[in-house]
Amino acid sequence: MSRARAGRSRLAAAVLTAVALASPAAAADTLNAYSIWPENWARPMLQEFEKATGIKVNFVRFSSGEALARVIAEKGNPRVDVLFGGPVETFAAGIKEGIFEPYKPPSFNSLPARFKQAEGYWVAIADDPLVFMTNAKFLKEGSLKPPASWEDLLNPAYKAMLQMADARTSGTAVTRIFSIIEVNGRNEDKAFDYMKKLRRNVQVYTKSGGGGTLPVGLGQAGGGIFFIVDALDTKAKGYDVIISFPREGIGTSAEAIALLKGAKNPELGKKLIDWATSPAMQGLYAKHKINFVPANPEVKVEPGLAEVLKGAKIFPIDDAYAGANRKHVVERWINEVLNAKE
Amino acid sequence: MTEAVRRPGRDPALWATVLVLWALLGLFVLFPLARLSWLAFFEGGRLSLDHVWSILGDPNHRQAFANSVLLAALVGAGGTALGFLFAYTAARAGLGRGWLAALDATTLLPLVSPPFTTAIAMIFSFGPRGLITYHLLGLKGATAYGLPSTLFAETLTYFPIAYLTLRPILAAIDPNVEDMAFSLGSSRWRVFRTVTLPLAVPGFANAFLLLFAASLADFATPLILAGNSFPVLPTQAYLQVTGLLDFKGGAVLSFALLVPAAAIYFLQRYWVGRGAYVTVTGKAGPATLIKSVAPWARWLLLAACAAVAVVIAYLYALLLYASVVMAFGANHALTWRHYHVIFTEGLKAIHDTLIIAGIGMPLGGLFGVLVGYLVARRRFPGRRAMEMVSMINYALPGTIVGIAYLIAFNDPPLALTGTALIIIACYVFRYSPTGIRATVALLQQIDPSIEEASQGLGARSGLTFRRVTLPLIVPAFFAGLGVVFIRSMTAISATIFLVSINWTLITVRILENMTELSLGPAAAFSVLVVAIVFAVMAGISWALRRLETGGGLRVTSILGG
Repeated sequence: MSRARAGRSRLAAAVLTAVALASPAAAADTLNAYSIWPENWARPMLQEFEKATGIKVNFVRFSSGEALARVIAEKGNPRVDVLFGGPVETFAAGIKEGIFEPYKPPSFNSLPARFKQAEGYWVAIADDPLVFMTNAKFLKEGSLKPPASWEDLLNPAYKAMLQMADARTSGTAVTRIFSIIEVNGRNEDKAFDYMKKLRRNVQVYTKSGGGGTLPVGLGQAGGGIFFIVDALDTKAKGYDVIISFPREGIGTSAEAIALLKGAKNPELGKKLIDWATSPAMQGLYAKHKINFVPANPEVKVEPGLAEVLKGAKIFPIDDAYAGANRKHVVERWINEVLNAKE
Repeated sequence: MTEAVRRPGRDPALWATVLVLWALLGLFVLFPLARLSWLAFFEGGRLSLDHVWSILGDPNHRQAFANSVLLAALVGAGGTALGFLFAYTAARAGLGRGWLAALDATTLLPLVSPPFTTAIAMIFSFGPRGLITYHLLGLKGATAYGLPSTLFAETLTYFPIAYLTLRPILAAIDPNVEDMAFSLGSSRWRVFRTVTLPLAVPGFANAFLLLFAASLADFATPLILAGNSFPVLPTQAYLQVTGLLDFKGGAVLSFALLVPAAAIYFLQRYWVGRGAYVTVTGKAGPATLIKSVAPWARWLLLAACAAVAVVIAYLYALLLYASVVMAFGANHALTWRHYHVIFTEGLKAIHDTLIIAGIGMPLGGLFGVLVGYLVARRRFPGRRAMEMVSMINYALPGTIVGIAYLIAFNDPPLALTGTALIIIACYVFRYSPTGIRATVALLQQIDPSIEEASQGLGARSGLTFRRVTLPLIVPAFFAGLGVVFIRSMTAISATIFLVSINWTLITVRILENMTELSLGPAAAFSVLVVAIVFAVMAGISWALRRLETGGGLRVTSILGG
């Protein structure tokens, strides 16, 4: 081969590579999704979906805030078809940004009202109550009982030993704040007084909802407020933690799924939504040790999980109320709680 | 300057190259920045500063700004002091090869690791039940969050930059100068104070400014360690976008970050501009036995360096340990499971990262050499401007670059989000400036008369560049591509915004794993990154030694940028 030819074929190869790198993968039966669920849970579920339907799911995981920011930034040219998992308040914020395409899957009518958006902008795939999680050794050293009331968390024994999520980034935090407002009879001032007192015992507000679970497991923090799915996962990893509920009650947040407006593969996206909102997926939570409470009423709660939940007073967060007040509540939390000067 | 600097009129190859480079710089540097300013300062097509004032008027954002500058100044001072300790020990304590290698390895480790690796180890060690604070020292109520721990982690991470900046400068101070002072009857301390330190001042300034900029741009360490009492600007800008979905606010905060970053950049240019001409001229004097360090002082220096090395080794040993036990802190049974996880589920991230780094590496090296050569040797309209523009993405904190790219490249015809190209472009234009500076520095040591001779004999500029200049600047090429590779493996602040379903990166996976309670895989990924980078660095050093171009440029001495 002459030198010029060799050069030309090298150039051609380079151009081909460049084209391949520049064009996003676009196989026929591939669905693209952003998952807000951690990979540990999203991966087995989406693999089961692939097994059941032959549709391959290409996904990447982002925390709820990152996923939403990205979908909004990409609004003009959506890169994915479905937003998978994540607390409903994230989805409620998304509706305002006009990023979703309404779709009602077959199981839509059988779902309780709080597990679906009336027009079908999102549909719930699971329910996820908050819990108190404490480090067993920390409790023993301080001769403390597992906290059984919101007031227990104000005990000075917890000073700078609690970790919980930051409301700027985490849906867990927003659910927590609305829980506190709810147990204070929607008296916002009273709720914020409580949160300001609680802040003294908070070591750090973490960026993600589960961010504090490892420090609590390791004993770097004494306890915190987390979603049950994260708390039970910590326990399953072998960390000696105790899960308890406040007698005044604690909130639960639905986990949702939604089709994106302008999705490149809307039909495949709908198939995923059909599957995820049906017993076909939610019946698999137990098999994969994912401790979400199923949203579909046809799926039984796994006995171990039911045992943990027994006797707990759990109430749903009123999404109309939360949606209307979210913005000012988060802003108030930032100003009065997060940035409080002691 | 000299004859070798020619007018481009008679040289189409030069014109073409300049045009292509400008097109690339315009597309990947100026355009995203312009889009970002548009977003920050314009409302509905008209200049509007309302949002700017409301963001900047927020006392918490002002606090974050002050915190960022304070942290950067402290990291600059502390890191420079630590770097000087290591550099002085290396240059003056008369160490054997083995010791020097150990010193180099210690300082390389933090430099080539993903940014938050030390942060995780810090939480284990210094928390309320930390291995060191509680189990070793019995302290109760210690906190792993806030200014002290962020400062500690960033200083350890970035002091190697000061070491690499100061070491050649100290080495270039002829010990004979110090000898002379001795023979005139000065004490050692006096020599150190009145001869060695003053000669190292430009180095100090340079090191301080580099560390200041690095800390100012650091996003990952404060994200994990700063806690709530010590917010800093890069993290706030990130939260403004991802938490409050306020792109405009994020853009405004990014521009606030730009102020100190630009100030530092120009200060640095000023210092480097004055210091760059200091070269080792003429023949070095006969080797002299170094007497500037008393035996007891030598041991003291070594002990101090060893102490720092032990701390670094401890933090990384902890990470290694976390990668081979079932669940750190709960179940310490040994296992390979986490490595199995990263090589199965994490394989795509490894594969993607290596492809991106592998493609970005030669492109970045080539780009650096080309721009460096044009800027240092040729004269064409806009030469100064090209030098400046090529440095912009390097001087900007990564958060700004990431957000700007995300906004600029989402819509057709420039829809690059979701592709590998956008990540590669980000790395090339952000990290090749080290290669540019290396090329410029190297060319300043090469007499232009060599090129003049070639052109005088009738060779066109292209031929002269290929046959004469290129072989001379090969070390700068390797240094440049080495840096691009290392940063492609370890950077996160910009690319966290650019990963997609098609292309993901190891560093982003590490951050994800850490927030998902999957500490084992996070640690295993980190260990893998360190291993790959060390292997590639060894390969580049080997290639450089084989080439023996006599440029005398050590790869490590280039990393300090």
